[in-house]
Amino acid sequence: MSQKYYEFFCPVKVIAGKAALEHIPYELTGLAAKRPMIVTDKGVRAAGLLDPVIAACEESGLEIVSIYDDVPPDSSTSVVRDIAGIYRQEKCDAIIAVGGGSAIDTGKAVNILVSEGGDDIAKYSGAGILKHPLKPFFVVPTTAGTGSEVTAVAVITDEKKGVKLPFTSSFLLPNAAIIDPRMTLTLPPHITAATAMDAMTHATEAFTCMAKNPLSDAYATAAIRKISQSLLKVMDNPKNAEGRLELAQASTMAGIAFSNSMVGLVHSLGHATGAICHLPHGLCMSLYLPYVLEYNLESIREPLGELLLHLEGPEVYSATPVARRAEATISAIRKMRDQLYKRCQLPRTLKETGKVQESQLDQIAEMALDDGSIMFNPKEVTLEDARAVLRRAWA
Amino acid sequence: MLLKRIQPMVFQARRLYVDIMFQVMGRALQAVSEVDETVQNEARALPKGLLFEMMVMPEGSRLIVEHTGDGHFHYHGQSAPRPVDLSIQFKHIAHAFLVLSFQEKTSEAFANDRMLVDGDVSYAVRMTRVLNRLETFILPKLIAKRAVKEYPANLHLPEKLISAARIYLKVATNFVETVRP
Ligand SMILES: [Fe+2]
Repeated sequence: MSQKYYEFFCPVKVIAGKAALEHIPYELTGLAAKRPMIVTDKGVRAAGLLDPVIAACEESGLEIVSIYDDVPPDSSTSVVRDIAGIYRQEKCDAIIAVGGGSAIDTGKAVNILVSEGGDDIAKYSGAGILKHPLKPFFVVPTTAGTGSEVTAVAVITDEKKGVKLPFTSSFLLPNAAIIDPRMTLTLPPHITAATAMDAMTHATEAFTCMAKNPLSDAYATAAIRKISQSLLKVMDNPKNAEGRLELAQASTMAGIAFSNSMVGLVHSLGHATGAICHLPHGLCMSLYLPYVLEYNLESIREPLGELLLHLEGPEVYSATPVARRAEATISAIRKMRDQLYKRCQLPRTLKETGKVQESQLDQIAEMALDDGSIMFNPKEVTLEDARAVLRRAWA
Repeated sequence: MLLKRIQPMVFQARRLYVDIMFQVMGRALQAVSEVDETVQNEARALPKGLLFEMMVMPEGSRLIVEHTGDGHFHYHGQSAPRPVDLSIQFKHIAHAFLVLSFQEKTSEAFANDRMLVDGDVSYAVRMTRVLNRLETFILPKLIAKRAVKEYPANLHLPEKLISAARIYLKVATNFVETVRP
């Protein structure tokens, strides 16, 4: 009997491609929702990204009852409470989150309050607290990276206590994720690069960490192939709608992969660096990815070597001897980072970011050791190990 | 038909084994936290008075330890003096058995969705490392290698503690051989 065991779960309906937004009214009607509220941020609104969403609904006679466009980059418990208040006051019956990670997490948290009742979101923090399905909830991602549209997690800051509250429940998953190339077409180059590398890291870690499984593997490899084939094309021609859609789909697929098989040390270090040095998450991912793969190398040689096929295609893969494939995979990732550096100066080392002091490395290492994702790293990480990886990533 | 008669015995043996191993681990946690610096350093980051529980769902055996400060643990047996702060819960006794008989690593059990964490994840991460370290103490090297991701190179422990733990272990490994379904 096989010693392997795994679980895989993704009940999110993916609605992707040309004119995907125009499916929103039909999908909402299917869930008996008539009064949707949009939750988004100022940047999304200023970029004009709400217009096609609103137009798509109004054309079908579906009125957007309320729009909250003031979600901050780090959403808080008071923001969630305020939005829930508006939702109740306006008698809304569904939420459409339009944006990146923060708007999506906020939408998830608001959905808890308006479905379960009360004003105190902290009460629902933790795992497995929710026991019932929530209100209809749709997500329209405007970045191609976080994968939040298919994860069962939300993080909201409790500003009074100064802590980040995690929420985990499969009921947080939206009913549908709408992937429309129009939503990422205007993403600036450095954000396009950083978020794509976040998705690349999700897929790579999902494929090499402890909870990998056949289903998440399929999503992870497909995501890596799409990113390696489309990212540089989009960097060179930002209006390439086809490429944009490929990246957006890859992000969702990588999200499905990692939400079922978890991530590892790249994320532990990245979360710590984000908290201490306030660097964007995607940038941290791109920065640490090759160094962590080198550190994990002997534990992940086989799966890592397989990724060469999806990064560089069958010719390079078959021309590379088996014993060299894992190293070649790391080189391919480094090559991609060099290309991104050339196009938008996406930093490759901590020093290149200009925002990290060498004296902060110890603090980052210590914080990383407390991060949940370190549990799934294929190699047991000690404080000394974390420090060593950081030193290599320094310059 | 034989299966029908043997099954309850297997179930009973498994329950007994999990019970015993929780007791072994609880005592060993306390003992190791008094002598091992690595465990102490790991535990020091936990709040003083933190109550940690490992239990089998729904109402099965449990092990409760308290961080009494400065990296030391106190074993409370089966019952907690107040609501616990951090709980690691096995979904089924079969999963607890896999981990406690060292057929599945603690980290693997997390990865395989065998157990849930209720409480602060960063504390759970620390406790997992403490448990890994503990497993290397309780077990002979050969089995410990299977139970933890990496066997530490710097393992020194008073002879007394090792031999005490090995006695328990002897009971334990015999169980694995007879009970394995
Ligand atoms: Fe990420």
